[in-house]
Amino acid sequence: MATSFKTFDDKDSVVTRNLLHEAIPITGTIISGTYTNKAGTEYNIKTYSHGMFESVYDYPYLSSSANHIFDLTMGYAATAAALSQSAAADYSMQPKKINIYNQMAQILVGFDENGAVRLFDEDGDLTSGTKMKAVYFINFARLLSKDEVKKGSFTLKLGVNSSYETGSFKQLLTITDSSGSSGYKVNSPAGEYGILRASGSGVMGVAGAADPLSGSFPKCGLLYYQAGIAVITASVFVSGGLRVLGGTGIANKGLNNQVQVIHPFDSSATNDLSPLVFTGSTIDANCNALRHRIKSISFNNTVELNSAVYFCRINNTDFNYSANPTYLSASKLVVKTYPTDLPVSYTTAVGLYSGDNELLAVAKLSEPLKKDPSTEFTLRVRLDY
Amino acid sequence: MGFLDNSGDIILDAVLTDLGRKRLAEGNGSFKIAKFALGDDEINYGLYDKNNISGSAYYDLNILQTPVLEAFTNNMSSMKSRLMSIARNDLLYLPVIKLFNEGNTALNSEFSNYLNLVDRNTVDSLAGTGNNVLPAGIINGDIPSQGTNLIEVDQGLDTIELPGTSVIAQDLLETQYFIQIDNRLGFLAAPGTNANTNEALSFTPTSIDDDQIATYIFTLNDDANVVTRIGENDASAIVGPRGTKVRFKIGSSLDLKTSTFLFTQLGSLGTTAITGQGGATIAVGGYRYIDSTVRVSGISTGYTVDLPVRFVKKTT
Repeated sequence: MATSFKTFDDKDSVVTRNLLHEAIPITGTIISGTYTNKAGTEYNIKTYSHGMFESVYDYPYLSSSANHIFDLTMGYAATAAALSQSAAADYSMQPKKINIYNQMAQILVGFDENGAVRLFDEDGDLTSGTKMKAVYFINFARLLSKDEVKKGSFTLKLGVNSSYETGSFKQLLTITDSSGSSGYKVNSPAGEYGILRASGSGVMGVAGAADPLSGSFPKCGLLYYQAGIAVITASVFVSGGLRVLGGTGIANKGLNNQVQVIHPFDSSATNDLSPLVFTGSTIDANCNALRHRIKSISFNNTVELNSAVYFCRINNTDFNYSANPTYLSASKLVVKTYPTDLPVSYTTAVGLYSGDNELLAVAKLSEPLKKDPSTEFTLRVRLDY
Repeated sequence: MGFLDNSGDIILDAVLTDLGRKRLAEGNGSFKIAKFALGDDEINYGLYDKNNISGSAYYDLNILQTPVLEAFTNNMSSMKSRLMSIARNDLLYLPVIKLFNEGNTALNSEFSNYLNLVDRNTVDSLAGTGNNVLPAGIINGDIPSQGTNLIEVDQGLDTIELPGTSVIAQDLLETQYFIQIDNRLGFLAAPGTNANTNEALSFTPTSIDDDQIATYIFTLNDDANVVTRIGENDASAIVGPRGTKVRFKIGSSLDLKTSTFLFTQLGSLGTTAITGQGGATIAVGGYRYIDSTVRVSGISTGYTVDLPVRFVKKTT
């Protein structure tokens, strides 16, 4: 009986899992500068009337070619000590900033035993230790982070000079999750996360050994791998090594939406002013201040690829003839002269069919594969999900 | 010492067809891969040079250089010709499936396809009111059972080198067929004729894919009586040993009968007058039509033939 299908048995398929990594380099010029006109309008930055976050694209966002790469926002906890130190007039968007902090914290850190939202903790030990009460959030788009950020691959280079317009990268922090590949935390409801640590010229010793920025490679944030969210403490901009809302201010508001942020070691009294930019400026202004100081971001993403491999076992007696209309001339095989000649066929595709003979998947060969009764082979067809 | 050839195991990446994606999305277990087939759509076996003076290594030089296209995701566009497994290696002839283009199964000679009249008004315009007789190649799609014209394809060894009276080998006999038709346009109906019935006597498709292609499966000597053996004395398109024949009619869909929407969207305005029975005509510009194909495939041999069908609706 002629047949053009061969049925798989139980041993002819196997499911495998592979992890695929892509390198994601984001240069600072894409994030700020490349798509700016003379008036300062940045066409690849999308802001919203609610003002709660801004979206960064890799191209002017009105173009269909633009890809969303990440969102920026910031917030602080309602219990942040510095709130009481600022003048009421400088509480710009305070409810929204607190809402953002709480929203992100409840998703990424979760709730305590009393149902209260936990605060971001600098070392992941939720029972005690230093909390990060004022933070920036970098929410990477799913397009970039895919299934997760690869542990140990994240690097953020951040200029922490006082003004981003002049020499903003003179003092540089290199923020990494270098320990992520070997040590990461699993006590978040949003999956695994690693501790971000800073190094580079922006890190200098300061008075007060208790300050996290005073040691080498101080902790400066958290990176949630599956969520694709980096939480950066605003303390990276603190002058004198104090927490942003812990006492000394971080910046003053400049003109024309320029926000001056003071790097940790600028002791200039003129720049080290209150009210704090964190409380005194809008979320967008804060995000712009951060964005203009990003020199580069790079990480590897991870895609978990589940593959079904089907072993198409083609024995010597299988598939030696063809139903191709050119195979016959007046019903006679064009590849044979005598009945004793071996039949031959050439395959260019493998079709995977359902039980009711419907074509569900197709795989193509790069070149025709000769098949005759003297050959047999196994084609491994991989179907990725 | 040289390396062993390790090229015997080949890894290919497959892509889901649109139907595969649809079934996967349905999540009802209908996405289950059960079998495979090999295709050779790009191959032109006419390039096989079995008389090459340089020897057998050169016979298939041109075939092996054939560029291969990437996979189409449309399930109807891929794997149109499949390779076959037959236990014997000594076959010199293989069966074909061929349209029987004679008598009441002939193509319309004017348009070289089957004209399917989709509603009563169109049928009456070409047959006369109350009269069901239509010229060859024009099918009553309104009530298929009332018409005498039908479609027939024959299977067998179409060669004069073997006598038509000889029996086709059992392993070359096709006993089961797919027939595929655009379900938006029409359906398959039984080949029988009963001028006094208003029933369509349609079959139920086995499946309808995401592109609205309906697949019907018929088996030799099943109740549908669509697939039968070609008798020794039957007229046939096959000149050598005969196998089976497939006979069916096509009815028009309700959409085509009651609306001109699809004719406007997919069709064209008639540019040639259609001649019916007794000199009746539908004039140029007096009808719209949609050209489509009906595909008949042998399940065992994989041999496929596409039949051209034109759905016609009188508009004036």
